[in-house]
Amino acid sequence: MTDNTSETGRIGMTSRRGFLVGTGAAGITALAGCSAGGSDGPSGTIDASGSNTVAPITSWAGENFENEYPDVLVDVAPEGTGAGFQEFCRGNSAVQSASREITEDEIGLCEEEDVDYGFIEVGLDGLSVVKNSENDWVDNITLDELQQIWEFESDVETWSDVRSEWPDEDMELHARDDASGTFDYFTEAINGELGNIRDDYSATSQTNEIMNAVASNEHGFGWGGLGYLRAIEDDQPIEAVPVESDADGEFYLPEQENIEEGTYSPLARPLFAYINLASLEEEPDLIGSFARFYVNNQHDFARDEGFYATTDEAQEANHDKIDDWLDQVGSDPDDITVQRA
Amino acid sequence: MSTDTDDAPFAESEETPFTDIDLGWEHRKNRIFLGIIFAASMFGVVMLALLLLDVVTDFYRGQTEFGISLIDFFTRDGSRRQELAGFRGAIVASVMLMIFTAILAFFVGVGSAIYLEEYAPDNRVTRLIEANLANLAGVPSIVYGLLALAAFVNGIGLGPILLAGAIALALLVMPIIIVSTQEALRAVPDSMRNGSYATGATKWQTIRGVVLPAAMPGIMTGTILALARAIGETAPLIMVGALFTNRIAWGPFDRFSAMPTQIYNWAAEPEPHFIHLAATGIAVLLAFLFAMNGIAIYLRNKYERDL
Repeated sequence: MTDNTSETGRIGMTSRRGFLVGTGAAGITALAGCSAGGSDGPSGTIDASGSNTVAPITSWAGENFENEYPDVLVDVAPEGTGAGFQEFCRGNSAVQSASREITEDEIGLCEEEDVDYGFIEVGLDGLSVVKNSENDWVDNITLDELQQIWEFESDVETWSDVRSEWPDEDMELHARDDASGTFDYFTEAINGELGNIRDDYSATSQTNEIMNAVASNEHGFGWGGLGYLRAIEDDQPIEAVPVESDADGEFYLPEQENIEEGTYSPLARPLFAYINLASLEEEPDLIGSFARFYVNNQHDFARDEGFYATTDEAQEANHDKIDDWLDQVGSDPDDITVQRA
Repeated sequence: MSTDTDDAPFAESEETPFTDIDLGWEHRKNRIFLGIIFAASMFGVVMLALLLLDVVTDFYRGQTEFGISLIDFFTRDGSRRQELAGFRGAIVASVMLMIFTAILAFFVGVGSAIYLEEYAPDNRVTRLIEANLANLAGVPSIVYGLLALAAFVNGIGLGPILLAGAIALALLVMPIIIVSTQEALRAVPDSMRNGSYATGATKWQTIRGVVLPAAMPGIMTGTILALARAIGETAPLIMVGALFTNRIAWGPFDRFSAMPTQIYNWAAEPEPHFIHLAATGIAVLLAFLFAMNGIAIYLRNKYERDL
């Protein structure tokens, strides 16, 4: 599958709120301030779209923000990065969680719809390659073997097709579908081209389903965001496979130190939140405060949800970006309720 | 044993034209058919029993293994933290959805049923309306969700608010209310109408004073059953844009997440704790359904005797 077909596929499966959009954006933004109460501080509704992987962090940030400012409602819809950008670039969401950077096609869509945006780096994710705990033959896997298994028109059907000493049994392959940034990241990092993947695996938009499928079948094999593995690995027969590092050729598990030190590579990736600058201009205190609040606590939010913290430099860079955006839309960063911590 | 008594006389009198028919086989077919249709009718009962057993087991495990406190469950809203998550906002939203759905669907539904049953002449237009109603009742619920999304959420810019969800549900249950109201009206004997006309009452006086009071228990029963269907609907609410984490909706213009949508979102979480929160939610939703069906059955039994 080429980059192009993957994009069309994504446009075809634009999610619920993007469907039949028309005049929707105006209505949603007009209503955003309606439930506002009388007390001080930010109030209104923040619609967030985006990555199924990053949504837990944004959702947790939103919930903490709601607890701090009761007049705010943050709704985070976890439809996948690609599907989410379709919403975001049409102005249907103010915040977009993303497990990869915006693509050329999406930049084009945003320009077409006149949506100006910026992004912050909110955490690091390890992409885990998972197998069933009953599987005692796979001790590690190289990047070439992963490509051999997953690339377009792959002829790998059984374990022994990968390494001859592995059993001659069919592999059951489970992974994300092309609505997700995880999909885009994996295909680019492993198969060398965004959207390049075999077409006969079980594709789903829910990482959950991948983990459950692999945990329930000895021959299950797949990949997905690490947070979902961490959530069930203590209760269910599923574990991560050590993957070859492109840094030093050794095999590493997706552990905190390996990811934060950069040896678990290329399957560790930065996670982003995109901010719609038109929404920021409309409600600088609401959106600006949320962005500031998110960045102030980003290390905690990421770790609370089973991800890894960015460097402190990345956090500072995020703060500087928010200052710039506020200047750009004509608001004084010092007037925003939530200040840089 | 009936086979034996049947077989015996034919074996003796060979000249009868039916000797070559094996009646024993015919009787066996009879019993096999009875067995099959009995199994078919039991299938639904067994499946319901399995479903309830599954819900009760998961509910019980949620209470014991995962320590889900019912008090917290009823007094907290949704949360990313599984131990802080509750169902309150979803219950409030579902109750409000029911109220607004009832208001929106009842008057239009009952009104059109009275027209069709009492006033409408039996012509092509009436038959067209009736055929359309029968078809509407079979339209998948997600289609009503898409209609509400296109026409109300985006079209007139209501946004994904509770009222938009209530409109979608009202559209969904209106055909059910119309059909059950028609049946209730039909059950009122013509002698009662004629008695009313004989006193000099007009048609509207007859309908208001005689027909509607007599049909009201049937209408109420049908309406409650229709609302019981609406409270469990998920797809139209997801289409309209229910929240992913339930928060209390204070009025019809607030964003919302109802019971079925919150259950759906919890069930998509990876942690087993959320799965059992979903199971607890299902138990609460089923309790609502049983209560509503119970009220409907009570109303039917109570007034059936009085009429």
